[in-house]
Amino acid sequence: MITLREKLTSYAVLGPFAIVLAFPFYWMLWTSFKSDIDLYNVNDVPFGFGKGSPTTRNYGFLFHHTEYLTWVRNTVLVGVVVVVITLALALPAGYALARLAGRWGQSLGVGIFLTYLVPPTLLFLPMSWVIAHIGLQDRLLSLILVFPSFTVPFATWLLMGFFKTIPAELEDAALVDGASRLQTLLRVVFPISVPGILTAVIFSFSLVLNDFVYALAFITTSHSKTISTGVFTELIRGDVFFWQGLMAATLIPTIPLALLYNVFLNRFIAGFTGGAFR
Amino acid sequence: MSDDRPRVDITAVHDEVTRRELLRRAAAGAVVLVYGGFGAKSAVAGAPKFRGKELKGTLRILQWSHFVPAYDGWFDNVYTKRWGQANDTDVIVDHVNQADLPGRVAAEAAAGKGHDIVALLAPAPQYEDRVIDHKEIVQEVRRKRGKMIDVCYRSSYNPKTKKYHGFPDSYAPDPINYRTDLWAQIHSKPTSWDRVLKAAPKLRAMGHPIGIGMSNEIDSNMALMALMMCFGSFIQNRSARVTLNTKATREALKFGRELFRKGMSNEIFAWTAASNNQAFLAGRLSLALNAISIPRSAELSNPDLAKTIGLLPIPKGPHGRLGLEHVMHTYMIWKFASNKKTAVKFLAELELKYRGAFEASKFYNFASFPRSVQNVPVRLARDPHTPKGKYKILNTISDKYTKNVGYPGFTNAAVGELFDKFLIPQMFAEVAQGKRSPDDAARDYQRRINAIFRKWRKLGKI
Amino acid sequence: MVAVAEARPRGRGRELIEGRAFLASVLIGPAVVFILALVGGPLVLSIYLSLTNATGGALGGHWVGLHNFTDAWSDPNFRRSLRNTLLFTIVSQAIVLVCAGLIAHALTRPVRGRWILRLLILLPWAAPVPLSTIGWLWIYDSLFSVVNWTLVHDLFPGHHAFYLYKVVNWLPLPFGDIQPFNPPQWLGNSTLALAAVISVHAWRLIPFAVVIFLAGLASIPAEVEDAAKIDGARGFRKFLHVTLPLQLPIATVALLFGIVFTATDLTVVYILTGGGPFNSTQMLTTWAYTTGIRSGSLGEGAAISLYLLPLLVVVAVLMLRFARRVEVS
Repeated sequence: MITLREKLTSYAVLGPFAIVLAFPFYWMLWTSFKSDIDLYNVNDVPFGFGKGSPTTRNYGFLFHHTEYLTWVRNTVLVGVVVVVITLALALPAGYALARLAGRWGQSLGVGIFLTYLVPPTLLFLPMSWVIAHIGLQDRLLSLILVFPSFTVPFATWLLMGFFKTIPAELEDAALVDGASRLQTLLRVVFPISVPGILTAVIFSFSLVLNDFVYALAFITTSHSKTISTGVFTELIRGDVFFWQGLMAATLIPTIPLALLYNVFLNRFIAGFTGGAFR
Repeated sequence: MSDDRPRVDITAVHDEVTRRELLRRAAAGAVVLVYGGFGAKSAVAGAPKFRGKELKGTLRILQWSHFVPAYDGWFDNVYTKRWGQANDTDVIVDHVNQADLPGRVAAEAAAGKGHDIVALLAPAPQYEDRVIDHKEIVQEVRRKRGKMIDVCYRSSYNPKTKKYHGFPDSYAPDPINYRTDLWAQIHSKPTSWDRVLKAAPKLRAMGHPIGIGMSNEIDSNMALMALMMCFGSFIQNRSARVTLNTKATREALKFGRELFRKGMSNEIFAWTAASNNQAFLAGRLSLALNAISIPRSAELSNPDLAKTIGLLPIPKGPHGRLGLEHVMHTYMIWKFASNKKTAVKFLAELELKYRGAFEASKFYNFASFPRSVQNVPVRLARDPHTPKGKYKILNTISDKYTKNVGYPGFTNAAVGELFDKFLIPQMFAEVAQGKRSPDDAARDYQRRINAIFRKWRKLGKI
Repeated sequence: MVAVAEARPRGRGRELIEGRAFLASVLIGPAVVFILALVGGPLVLSIYLSLTNATGGALGGHWVGLHNFTDAWSDPNFRRSLRNTLLFTIVSQAIVLVCAGLIAHALTRPVRGRWILRLLILLPWAAPVPLSTIGWLWIYDSLFSVVNWTLVHDLFPGHHAFYLYKVVNWLPLPFGDIQPFNPPQWLGNSTLALAAVISVHAWRLIPFAVVIFLAGLASIPAEVEDAAKIDGARGFRKFLHVTLPLQLPIATVALLFGIVFTATDLTVVYILTGGGPFNSTQMLTTWAYTTGIRSGSLGEGAAISLYLLPLLVVVAVLMLRFARRVEVS
């Protein structure tokens, strides 16, 4: 068991960090319930509610007057498909780079990473050309095709790192027992790598969520938009920002997603209580 | 967000409707919007989908999300649908937030595919080679409505290549928004820059500073360039030669520094395009230069404050009264558009009968051909919000005091680049914060801006 | 372990599949082909564009050699963007590494409420960056900033002696005294705006690094831990000789990606400051976007965005070398 001192240090570290990191969301939550007149009143206490607040009108607007739910659905759909594609490509590649390929593979690994360094600022122009000429403009498929270009290198590297932390002796033992390499991979290596795989899932999904440029360049039809582009179109009108709606639109996907990530983390940490977590 | 925000039902009604029913609905919607559209609860009864009848052609348009949501409702669901019926064309309108439009437009240019018509909030001469010559539209409208207003002509024509690189259907005048109650307290009125400077310390002492932005955003760009012109400082001359390093520029910079020191707060360096609106709505600012989005927002969310907002033309400077447009809404038809003929026809007809757009935009969109909207002063006077008749001044402003960016030259690609790079706000901010002397700034920015002009001159565009 | 695998008699086909080189290429192949197909072509095109005078979205133009690169360099705003890119990346990643290390370590202890604390710490990574940056824009707003409200208002209502700004004014600060009417402008003072951008980058990447560290800690097998225990390694010594070496490869990956995420990010600066005040927070990405996309000087924009590439390549290769050396030892 841990000592009281260790416990207190943990709280002393985690408490302030949790407050700082989560504060913007607390603030968004508060703002999202404010009326215009309250929001734009400098004399109102921002931590309290003034005239016309709290109101759920901002949420109502989002759900009833924009296609918000469609955008959420689109984003989730794209995210899930991209994660599946990413794992299918990156799992084998990451393993091979970590274990099988020698010097040649090392260089290739570096090569894959370097594609990541290509500045995305202008890359979206030639990409748009490709997308338009295979007839995918304004279709979610365009995003599904392009997003793996940045999730796969990332996931490959991440998984490679994880596979390297698994001692080779475990695999060797399985090989000695007569299992083939593929069997070893499926039965020994992957189950041990669940933390790594879940991390790759979380991060690939987040990368998809964070994209703005590609979604903007490829899609303008309202019902095919993803969250960020859709929300920006409807809630920033010329020089008028609908702050409360913007905050609401940010919170709605964030909180469930953070919960899900946390459950993932819990799962893989639970599997390792025999390990470092003591 | 207030109760009276005009509601636009975006979800389409999927039932079958007969043609007559459709027209009836469309007309009703238009009536509601045009006559009841001023903050009253207006609603378009959904966009009827034309399941019954296949339309032959398709026309795809990309434009911004108008700051008046009801305008988009009118344009997407009423005007274009009616026009489409009459011309056997399915008109599809897509929207993107104005700040992100340039990105999408660049992507379409690179792809050589996308919408038939795209609109930007500023002229985009850099796409000259990628778009058709819009002369046809200009001539067609001119035949029936007379001349295009000079500010729009100079924003869409390239005298070097003799080409119209875009078609501005409308522009927004850029008036002074000032608090009548506060200015009355100090017995003054912002009619000249001199008066503004004299009033500034008193107003700031009352807790209401002046709000002329010096930040990386469009309002600052417009306000400062207009201020420069009032002092006789011009970025270029008629033949597109940079003329920034002048005494007038130094005077304008000195004035900007004075105004900041005496009558503004540091906030002006941090602004986004929305900030001066918000600060005005919060009752903090005593003066701002902006399109009418300030009083319009106030009418919706804070009617008491709206009563104290007055509009005036740009204050007079040593060189006179020269203002800029706030927005130049420029349509462009791609060379690769699949339906150029229809696109040309659409834009010409939109402009010929601009009244609907003028009213649906709550007087934000001023027609580029003034005679496309009859009786503008009467319509402006008819606005029901107090103080009554405050919008009348817009007519004078648009007639007399609205010039193009880059005046007295044309709005060319080089001017566009220094605009997009916010070099003018940068210059003013550096002087105001004391990081540079006005002399040094005028000299240095002459050099920087010259480099941009040289580049575009080499390309044969200016 | 090769010797072990080869020691067993097998059929030819089986041997082929089990062959290292063959299996490796089968496993790596699809990923490489996919990435090259998607990124390779466009990258070559970007390099080509940077050597031409292409404008207005046209994917071609006249050859101008290295002119775009020299033109860009002669602009002071460009040099500032380059400096800012380095500054943002280095400072924010230093913050991220230290904070994430502390948090991950603290999170390994089974304290009460760990679950909720972890949830709060994870939040920034679950939010779409374009939208959460809008949240920060509101937090740092010029007039309605909650930070400033807290600074200039009374801590305990009614006790005027507790105005926080009076206390803060005793500190030597880069932006002078705090006045209620003219509070610090987080996005309007060049020093503060740099700090604001760095804070948002660090904020969004701390959870990322925490998760990677946690996963790295979690995948240290129990056997290793037990072995360390038998050897009598505890506390800091254990950390230095057991945990740290096993963590370094994965920490390097976290750092590398953190660097790349920050250096190639367009969203945060574009939304938060727009490069302002007076273009003092522009990064290479935003400056390239402004030049190449908004103003239409595509060739020059491509050149600007490519400036970063050699630098990142050098950093990446050095770090990867380091990571490998750590593994070997």
